[in-house]
Amino acid sequence: MTDAAQGIAAEPFERIQCQWCQSMNEKAALACRACGAPLDIRNLVSESGWREAPRIRDMTEIHFSSSTCQVEGEIVPAAEINLGAGDSVFFEHHVMLWKEERVGMSLMQLSGGMKRAFAGMPFLISVATGAGRIAFSRDATGELVVLPLHPGMELDVREHAFLLASHQIGYSFIRVKGLTNILFGGQGMYMDRFVTTSTPGLLILHGYGNVFERRLKEGESIMVEPGAFLYKDSSVTMNVEFQKLGTGFFGGTNMSLARMTGPGRIGIQSMYVHHHTE
Amino acid sequence: MFCVNCGNILVEGQNFCRNCGNPVKRPGAAGQAAAYPAQAAAVLPQVPAPPPQAPMQASAPQPARSAMPGGRCSWCGSDVFAGQSTCPRCGAALDHPPAVTAGGWTELPGRKDMTKLQIGNSSCQIEGLYVPVADMNLAAGDSVYFTHHVLLWKDPQVNVTTMPLKGGFKRLLAGMPLIMTQAQGPGHIAFSKDDPGELIPVALQPGQSIDVREHMLLAATSNVTYDWFSTNVYFETRNGDEREVFHPVGAFMDRFSASTPGLLLLHAGGNVFIRQLAPGQTVLVKPTALVFKDPTVDMNLHFEHPRTNFVTWGRWSNMYFWLRLTGPGRVAIQSVFPQIEGEARNITGWSDATEARW
Repeated sequence: MTDAAQGIAAEPFERIQCQWCQSMNEKAALACRACGAPLDIRNLVSESGWREAPRIRDMTEIHFSSSTCQVEGEIVPAAEINLGAGDSVFFEHHVMLWKEERVGMSLMQLSGGMKRAFAGMPFLISVATGAGRIAFSRDATGELVVLPLHPGMELDVREHAFLLASHQIGYSFIRVKGLTNILFGGQGMYMDRFVTTSTPGLLILHGYGNVFERRLKEGESIMVEPGAFLYKDSSVTMNVEFQKLGTGFFGGTNMSLARMTGPGRIGIQSMYVHHHTE
Repeated sequence: MFCVNCGNILVEGQNFCRNCGNPVKRPGAAGQAAAYPAQAAAVLPQVPAPPPQAPMQASAPQPARSAMPGGRCSWCGSDVFAGQSTCPRCGAALDHPPAVTAGGWTELPGRKDMTKLQIGNSSCQIEGLYVPVADMNLAAGDSVYFTHHVLLWKDPQVNVTTMPLKGGFKRLLAGMPLIMTQAQGPGHIAFSKDDPGELIPVALQPGQSIDVREHMLLAATSNVTYDWFSTNVYFETRNGDEREVFHPVGAFMDRFSASTPGLLLLHAGGNVFIRQLAPGQTVLVKPTALVFKDPTVDMNLHFEHPRTNFVTWGRWSNMYFWLRLTGPGRVAIQSVFPQIEGEARNITGWSDATEARW
């Protein structure tokens, strides 16, 4: 740790920036310290402007405060966390894979949880506190999307899509506004909102299939299958619109698409399972 | 004689394979080389190239700088220019030989992430490896059609309408998607299916047709004609007075044809394997594993079961249920396949079937 710090101080320009999360890394590093993205592979960006979430190499280690997280496996990856003393992570139900006995568990106090329970969401957010090891995974093929949150970031995430977050991140949820958005938005009544305070934190999402991210300019918009929405900066607005399709047989059918309007990032998943909330 | 690397037929006197540039080793030169022809014979069936059209020299003068001569994509038969590492029509990686099993199945060619296909003025980029996305960049005037629940995202200006389908009502009764949706360029539109598996870009040559199992279609360019036919592969079960008819490959099969070069995008579960059947050659596959076949390939049900004295009721529970495919032509299968509905019931009737007892 101190060696690395000295190295950085001695040669301030001998560093490379991670293309995925913008963190600075030592020049010889093969994977980003903060998000695990391979540093020796260029960003994969499609011609239409989507960049693919980096495929984290098996057994890559990620660092946050005094803890580390190792990403294991490639088909259904697991995140194994070695919590430093005093560090903690919080998570939803049904994602914990295993833990050491000494890892302490508690419940996060949330306001408005009852309302959300009626809406079919688990309002129990559990907290695991170090020191000790604890591992998480989700029951579907897909990718772990590691989003180190820098101070001042505000991110909205599809409900049930987050795997875990470190304790530096503030968690709340927002109601999706508008009846159309709730009924046809394909993602229920609530979105999780993660806000960073003054220290950086780690947020790990699980995306079904492949995950792609795109940055929308101010006023630029794109139509997305509502079930494919994974996350967005809180500055991006979402509105469900209908596409009327006449069939000539039974008077037609409707197709709903979410119009996402910038500025900000938006993340989508290619396997848009309508899970849990359907 | 065949190339030991890619299975291409070698012309006498050549020192290098015209397809892949691999040096030619003649049998007899070394003890080991004598084994090559046998190996090459196993590699040969993968070449599914349709009959040649114009000779490629006419359209493409060979660039001198490349060590690799131009040729044909061994996967889709399209002409490939020298030095290209990816087939511009179907996305197959050309810089390494196809993986062929000892049993003669070729694995769907390795595709690099973000591979771009050109189709007329439009292009299609295939993104992701778990659940791949087909990202079409439609030129003005170009359009694609697609089934329900595959649209992932689109530019706001891309117009989406329904495409009229003939015989739609019959299709509806058979449980097939009635609504085919059409998107009009210019602009980007992307498709994916919510299943881990392979995205199969099928580059249709002019005059070529292909028969595809229902629900496999992701999208196709509008110059690809979409038709269907009755598979006539079924069996009937009986329980008292209750009769039911099951179609293990579907009541209908889609047939896609193209008069100008077209692109067909299919999605199959798991991994995809393909082989070329010689005339009269047969193979038994699980009926639900079939992905597509050339129209020249015939199919019928095939039962295998042990001999037993209790013919009437000992029979079906011990039976193996196959789809028998007879060449000539290509057949493709997927490694994730659903169970055959009705398989274990009391089967009293069936379409044209062959049988083997042991």
